[in-house]
Amino acid sequence: MSFFDALNVSATGLTATRTEMDVTAENLANAQSSNNGTPYKPQAVVLSSIGSNSFQQELSDAMGTGSSPSDVGGVEVSGIVSENVPNQLVYDPTSPSANAKGYVEEPDVQPVTEMTNLISESDSYQADVTAMATTKQMYSSTLELLQA
Amino acid sequence: MSLLDNTQLSLESAMNGSMYRQTLLANDLANADTPGFQPQDVDFQQQLADAVAGGKSPKSMQFTPTTESQSTSVDGNGVDTDVVNADIAENGLLYQTLTQVAAARNGILQSAINSTS
Repeated sequence: MSFFDALNVSATGLTATRTEMDVTAENLANAQSSNNGTPYKPQAVVLSSIGSNSFQQELSDAMGTGSSPSDVGGVEVSGIVSENVPNQLVYDPTSPSANAKGYVEEPDVQPVTEMTNLISESDSYQADVTAMATTKQMYSSTLELLQA
Repeated sequence: MSLLDNTQLSLESAMNGSMYRQTLLANDLANADTPGFQPQDVDFQQQLADAVAGGKSPKSMQFTPTTESQSTSVDGNGVDTDVVNADIAENGLLYQTLTQVAAARNGILQSAINSTS
């Protein structure tokens, strides 16, 4: 375990949450997009937790000098996948991309779902920032100990 | 007799344990949306108390994390963000208390070193 583990772990949380927010924003922005007649597919982020694989951790494990076992490394985005949802059909016979019956295929982006995701992602981000602030406070009180 | 007594060493160990707990809690929070993730925590105070009661030196304590799995959401994630948040706040305050006690005890030692009579 290295000294700044707690901060690094929170930082991975911030990165992952920010990626989620980027993807949510992209879904909203592409709610009407299509690429050469193929409607945009909403994207989703796949998260997975990571173990600690820092140099210090490997070294202290190998030497058996680590103060505590540490298999915590935070979270990472392991992939961004297209959601497997059917396109929605919108009746618009005047559109150039309408089919024989006058329907146009549009992306199945649900604005309400995306906005709800955005709220929960923003909450996660805030929680990580709060944890970071507490950790920072802990480090600075350690520094004050040295000043005494 | 060594310069640092058992209490001072225990304080140091408790600070280590508290910092370790902070890492675990930060990891729980970072993984609040990871499917299948189960939160980890460490009861470093109990482990330290057991070690001291068992006559072991509090120096270079090894803390063992515990994995809890009580509440699970549909994706198999067991992190309760509110509980983790409260734990982080509590742990931060505890750490500050520990450093202040350690600083006060250091001050006593310092005045003994500096006295010239």
